[in-house]
Amino acid sequence: MRLGLVIDLDTCVGCHACAVACKEWNTSGTTGALTDYQPYGAKPSGVWFNRIRHYEIGDYPHNKTVNFPMSCMHCENAECVTVCPTGASYKRAEDGIVLVDQSKCMGCNYCSWACPYGARELDRASGTMKKCTLCIDRIYDMEIPEEERQPACVLTCPAHARMFGDFDDPESPVSRAVRERGGYQLMPELNYNPSNHYLPPRVHAPIPTEGMRKKAAAKVKAWVNRVVER
Amino acid sequence: MHPALAVIFLTLFSGGGFGLMALVAIVNDFHIDGGLNPLQTLIAVLIALVFVTIGMLSSTAHLANPKNAWRAFTRWRTSWLAREGIFAVLFYPFAGLYLLWVYFTQAPADVVGLVLANLAGLIGLITIFCQGMIYAVLRTIRQWNTPLVPANFYFMGLGIGATILAAERIVLGAPATAFVALAVALLVAAAVLKGIYYFWIARPGGPSIRTATGFNRLTVRILDQGHTFGTFLTEEFGHTLPTAQARNIKVLMYGIAFVVPIAALALALDTGSALAALIAAVAVVIGIGIERWLFFVEAQHVVNLYHGRPSC
Amino acid sequence: MATVMEFEDHGKQEIKYTTCYMCACRCGIKVTVENNQVRFIQGNRNHPINQGVLCAKGSAGIMKQQSPAKLRNPLRRKPGTERGAGEFEEISWDEALDILTQRLQHIRATDPNKLAYFTGRDQMQALTGLWAQQFGTLNWSAHGGFCSVNMATAGLYMLGHAFWEFGDPDWDRTKYFMLWGVAEDHSSNPMKIGLEKLKRNGGKFVGINPARTGYQAIADEWVPIRPGTDGMLALSMVHVLLQNEQFDWEFLLRYTNAPFLVVQTPGQKGDGLIYRDEAGHPLVWDLEKEAFVNGMEPGVKAALFGDFQSPDGRPLRTIMSILADRYLDERFSPANAARLTGVPAETIERLALEMAHVAFKESIEVEVEWTDWAGRKHDRFIGRPVSMHAMRGISAHSNGMQAARAIHLLQVLLGTIDCPGGFRAKAPYPKPVPPPVKPAQHSAPNTPLKSSPLGFPTAPEDLVIDEEGRPKRIDKAYSWEAPIANHGLMHMVITNAVNKDPYGIDTLIFFMANMSWNSTMNTANVQEMLKAKDDDGEYKIPFLVVIDAYHSEMVNFGDLILPDTTYLERHDCISLLDRPISEPDAICDSIRHPILKPDRNVRPWQDVMVELATRLKFPAFTRENGEPRFKDYKDFIVNFERAPGIGFLAGWRGKDGKSHLRGEPNPEQWERYIENQGFFQYHLPKSAAFYRFANREYLDLAQKIGFNPSADPITIELYSETFQRFRLAGLGLYDGPQPKDPVDRERLATYFDPLPDWYEPLEQQRIDKKEYPFFAVNQRPMMMYHSWDSQNAWLRQIIAQNYLYMNRKRGEQMGIKDKSWVWVESHNGKIRVQVKLIEGCQEDTVWTWNAIGKQSGAWGLKPDAAEATRGFLMNHLISELLPAKRGERRLTNSDPITGQAAWYDLMVKITPAAPGEEGVWPTFETIKPLPGMAPSPDQLRYHTHEPVNLRS
Ligand SMILES: Nc1nc2c(c(=O)[nH]1)N[C@H]1C(S)=C(S)[C@@H](COP(=O)(O)OP(=O)(O)OC[C@H]3O[C@@H](n4cnc5c(=O)[nH]c(N)nc54)[C@H](O)[C@@H]3O)O[C@H]1N2
Ligand SMILES: Nc1nc2c(c(=O)[nH]1)N[C@H]1C(S)=C(S)[C@@H](COP(=O)(O)OP(=O)(O)OC[C@H]3O[C@@H](n4cnc5c(=O)[nH]c(N)nc54)[C@H](O)[C@@H]3O)O[C@H]1N2
Ligand code: SF4
Ligand code: SF4
Ligand code: SF4
Ligand code: SF4
Ligand code: SF4
Ligand SMILES: [Mo]
Repeated sequence: MRLGLVIDLDTCVGCHACAVACKEWNTSGTTGALTDYQPYGAKPSGVWFNRIRHYEIGDYPHNKTVNFPMSCMHCENAECVTVCPTGASYKRAEDGIVLVDQSKCMGCNYCSWACPYGARELDRASGTMKKCTLCIDRIYDMEIPEEERQPACVLTCPAHARMFGDFDDPESPVSRAVRERGGYQLMPELNYNPSNHYLPPRVHAPIPTEGMRKKAAAKVKAWVNRVVER
Repeated sequence: MHPALAVIFLTLFSGGGFGLMALVAIVNDFHIDGGLNPLQTLIAVLIALVFVTIGMLSSTAHLANPKNAWRAFTRWRTSWLAREGIFAVLFYPFAGLYLLWVYFTQAPADVVGLVLANLAGLIGLITIFCQGMIYAVLRTIRQWNTPLVPANFYFMGLGIGATILAAERIVLGAPATAFVALAVALLVAAAVLKGIYYFWIARPGGPSIRTATGFNRLTVRILDQGHTFGTFLTEEFGHTLPTAQARNIKVLMYGIAFVVPIAALALALDTGSALAALIAAVAVVIGIGIERWLFFVEAQHVVNLYHGRPSC
Repeated sequence: MATVMEFEDHGKQEIKYTTCYMCACRCGIKVTVENNQVRFIQGNRNHPINQGVLCAKGSAGIMKQQSPAKLRNPLRRKPGTERGAGEFEEISWDEALDILTQRLQHIRATDPNKLAYFTGRDQMQALTGLWAQQFGTLNWSAHGGFCSVNMATAGLYMLGHAFWEFGDPDWDRTKYFMLWGVAEDHSSNPMKIGLEKLKRNGGKFVGINPARTGYQAIADEWVPIRPGTDGMLALSMVHVLLQNEQFDWEFLLRYTNAPFLVVQTPGQKGDGLIYRDEAGHPLVWDLEKEAFVNGMEPGVKAALFGDFQSPDGRPLRTIMSILADRYLDERFSPANAARLTGVPAETIERLALEMAHVAFKESIEVEVEWTDWAGRKHDRFIGRPVSMHAMRGISAHSNGMQAARAIHLLQVLLGTIDCPGGFRAKAPYPKPVPPPVKPAQHSAPNTPLKSSPLGFPTAPEDLVIDEEGRPKRIDKAYSWEAPIANHGLMHMVITNAVNKDPYGIDTLIFFMANMSWNSTMNTANVQEMLKAKDDDGEYKIPFLVVIDAYHSEMVNFGDLILPDTTYLERHDCISLLDRPISEPDAICDSIRHPILKPDRNVRPWQDVMVELATRLKFPAFTRENGEPRFKDYKDFIVNFERAPGIGFLAGWRGKDGKSHLRGEPNPEQWERYIENQGFFQYHLPKSAAFYRFANREYLDLAQKIGFNPSADPITIELYSETFQRFRLAGLGLYDGPQPKDPVDRERLATYFDPLPDWYEPLEQQRIDKKEYPFFAVNQRPMMMYHSWDSQNAWLRQIIAQNYLYMNRKRGEQMGIKDKSWVWVESHNGKIRVQVKLIEGCQEDTVWTWNAIGKQSGAWGLKPDAAEATRGFLMNHLISELLPAKRGERRLTNSDPITGQAAWYDLMVKITPAAPGEEGVWPTFETIKPLPGMAPSPDQLRYHTHEPVNLRS
């Protein structure tokens, strides 16, 4: 299995719902509280697994705004794991999920240097590295109703711009979406082979209007009434 | 990258220490300028050990969770950081034994001594290599992802070691011509190599905000990074240095790291001035400290692309 | 995974279903509670509104509950201290309610209008309205007057349902969706769910908006429009449709007043009124009978176009002829509209024709038998899959009411009203045009009002004015200045009360409204007004009661503060009598119930209101013998009947709980709701789900369950006779009340156009646009709700500072640098803010996120919080009054028809700040902490159990 997410840039409205749902699930999740610094102070900040960035493509008035959620891509070539000296970072053989064993991490940040996607954040309070767990504690928790055994971010996304599934299964919804919508990976040149894929914005075909042109009565007075029963 | 003093000190001092140890071994192997007498050896090895220790201690200061530091040796099969840790620790018994051996036997260059010295020196050199590779393997940071990095680390570490060694000889009034020549040669090489490195990192290339986002054909600009203040990512990776400022600091760095030490060593050799020798040693450490600072601040992690930088 | 892992102890957790209140979208939530703490809030999959999804605010409910700004005790302004100084003392509930009862008793017994009770972002207007009515004060309304009344009124005076919360696009079927001036709105999650459906189905999404963020980001086409010109854009599209004869003949003839005949006698009484028979039926010209016949008779074959003459010689014209004549005029040509709107003429024309194509060439059919109003059977519903939604970008302009009507006109011409794929009504809508409820006009001591203070005037006789024509309401709603102010004018209350214009009041109650900060125009001035005193040293507003749950800026000005519970701690109901949560396919309502125990001395305001009502002996709340009718709010909801069998909750009525929609009170109703995950949903049969304005099955049902007083069909009014009556009053041609002040006359004559029209927003008519060249508007950030989310530790990390967004090229031309500080100046004042240059901004517009700026010290934030030092409010620049004109009384800065606050009419100039001028300006005094408030923590590590670490 190769589990991961598909993000649909055509429908993501940039609402940050997935980021907050991630935060609320995972602050009581397997890597412990996600600390917030200065929560009510001058410069609020904290540990998040999922962040939404917003870009503008092209120049006005031909510009498009693209909302861009990013979390761990659960890369095939997860350098974050290879570089980790303690073995805290690991990639699960059975499903490809990349995790950090909180009891082993020494907080050296090295894995975060190796991650191109900014998926790892150090928790200064615990001194350990934290990251998206793909909500392993939801997707494998048999006490959660089956249809909710999905990552918190996927469940919550109001624009259904997030999909979760197995990329090794060519018929899974994620594989199919990638195939049909031209899903792509970020920074392929670095060769991390991330599992997460992004679906580019759709291009809407022009709607024909020529047939709609009619010379109507030049004068209102000349309009010929139609008989319609009220 | 965030120029954390802990990491700067780690590579700076331990590099210098390892370089010094390696040079002690070489000098004693080949009796350069008559080799080092026991006292000189003791002092040099002690300095090396102190330097390495400063480096190691400051590296643990860099850890957010140092109680797990001992685990850092477990993943030597894949992690250069683990390898560095292992070799750095391995350095101690050999360097330490050599120190004791010389202290008790006063024979810095007998077989046992030389074996110990060479092993310590070799391990030191390997550690420098590991240190370099820690950075050089990161595809995420174009400025580091090059063999020039370990090469640089070698010449810098050896340059520091050689300068200190030459200074020590001069301060102790021992013949130092070859030492100074060696130091000058290493510093010049280091300077040249660094120059090559600077040219290399100045050339454009690598991922851009376009490839990072997948919108390859149009201008991409950040509208909002999704958080008002800093995050771990912006704090760790967000540093930049305006080009003009970088240029000025580099000139300063060349002056302090290379010109001053070379000139001071030459003067010291000529006049026997202990002060000049000391100036050379201090300057080389400060100068290469600045070089190391630049090494970090100029490193542009690709995550910055997602925060709006057009290229890295 | 081979072995089953235990990640957390579900045995220690409880799952509860309730309704979110992080905004007024009212999504269903499933809350996992662990040790009286929230483990997780997620969307309820079964809930009709959000179908399992949840927005950022909803998920951040956990942190709202953790807010350090939660009020803890009733508070009284310390005797001897000044109002606004923030010196409070804690008092008991008994004491607080004694103080209030005494005061209110006296007011009620003397002049009930001396109490003004205004409510903000509440969802219980049915209760607060009933309370005010029972008290006997005319001076009640909710916040709709500064929010959405333009939308509600436009729809309710034209279609019978409306944008805002009374209608929705048919997301499952629509193929073309046009969004006018919406950043988020209250259909927050439904809109996102819907947009994805639309796009998945291959539909086109057009976003008309000066800014490109959020929804417009994913629009297939973004139309950057100049603010305030949407009416013109819509009418120009109407022009194009008419020009190309692209309109739905059948729809217009069957369901609208387009064929009705209008008397054409300019300058005479009766001009512009509908030609009627003796019985008052509107007449049409029957093409077969060649005679005038009752247009409401089934089977008439009315002429859509034509000029006729009445037997008594008056010229008559069909509404459609008048309408076509009007909009075919060059004034509405794409070329002319382009000049005003900034939208290229080709684009206007293309968009209109694209919609015509989808409406008429891609029409859809839902095959189901249904019966029309006249009893005729049909075997299918024809759907024209073009739909629209509009909100504040239209609403918050002083021409917004007419602009919203213009958009509705476009929809009607395309035949897309309540049809498959079109713009569908949500129960209890559609209602008759307009709903047959008139505002109460008279108050008397110790007597309830005869009807609700709010209603729907249809003629000048319905105004709430005295014999002299002076306003009777403190906000001047239903006066000549705002005749159809169906939601009141909350934004005028403080100003009018302080100016004692029309009169002074005694007690002002604000519930859930931050009227000293982001919900008011002209913030700095309003703060001064709240503190203003008469010569005798008495405050101009003598007693100010604030009911809030958090330490807001408003709390600081209260004389008496009553602390409310949070939404997870109380009973609430989202009633069909209120702003319902129905869906087009289903009649719905819902509840909240306490899932956490409050840890403070707080009480739900509903309970307190019921108690006050009992103490004050309101007839609806006390028996003849003086005994309370209801124990508390819960009991009230169960047992109160507005009409026999109709109460606040529609589900599980009847003694056995088996009568839905109408039935006797059920003592176990709350329990049934709780069992059913907090909501009630009655699915309309498909045959009753479309064309409801003319659908016999639906109309009968709506009458039976009390939505509508009759089962008559509802006629869509393209032309508003109501408006014409007011216009005639302005022209001096009306047999009834007429205004005396020339400015009122002129406003009625100009703006009460019976057909949708565009005129330049009022403030802009008075501003030198060379001096103030930029339009300045706001957007709601999706992850922040007005002022109340800055106390949320998670949400404020996403946005703790707002910028002034500006078109990059335009900014560069002006020498303004990205992220630099600038002065922004309007006719009302100036502010210093930080600029961001972006692409997604129309060139003549600047915008910012709404309500990010905070007063230092409020909301449990540290005094140096970014919201106070770098964030800002646009409100300082916006005046509640129009710029003064010589010889004219000061007029409200509102829509001249509805009194809707014109927040977005603002024009500004922008100049770079001098070097060194940094940080926001103006700044305000730091609000003092309240007694008993703990200092806010410096670090948070919220979790409800120890983590199970996963070992490598
Ligand atoms: N997250 C969140 N949701 C909310 C709220 C909140 O505070 N936060 N508030 C709730 C409330 S009380 C309300 S009233 C609703 C309002 O919800 P919206 O109607 O979405 O209100 P605004 O965010 O003000 O959005 C106005 C939009 O219109 C655009 N605009 C401004 N002027 C014009 C114009 O002249 N023409 C056009 N075409 N566009 C224009 C602005 O750029 C902006 O995008 O949202 C509700 N939902
Ligand atoms: N510049 C500008 N200003 C605007 C707008 C704009 O577009 N631009 N929009 C306007 C519009 S449409 C609106 S609706 C208003 C928003 O107007 P408001 O209704 O004033 O919204 P909030 O700022 O959220 O303030 C609501 C108050 O309710 C309190 N509160 C929250 N939860 C509870 C609770 O459970 N119980 C009680 N008792 N109190 C509670 C909060 O603490 C806060 O003080 O803003 C208006 N102001
Ligand atoms: S929740 Fe969905 S729409 Fe919102 S930011 Fe995340 S991915 Fe985008
Ligand atoms: S995204 Fe980063 S943290 Fe996640 S697997 Fe890839 S490299 Fe590792
Ligand atoms: S921070 Fe932790 S997980 Fe990352 S490399 Fe260091 S020890 Fe490994
Ligand atoms: S999969 Fe889970 S942990 Fe990962 S981003 Fe989504 S919610 Fe967060
Ligand atoms: S839209 Fe969000 S905040 Fe509003 S009710 Fe729904 S979940 Fe709650
Ligand atoms: Mo609103």
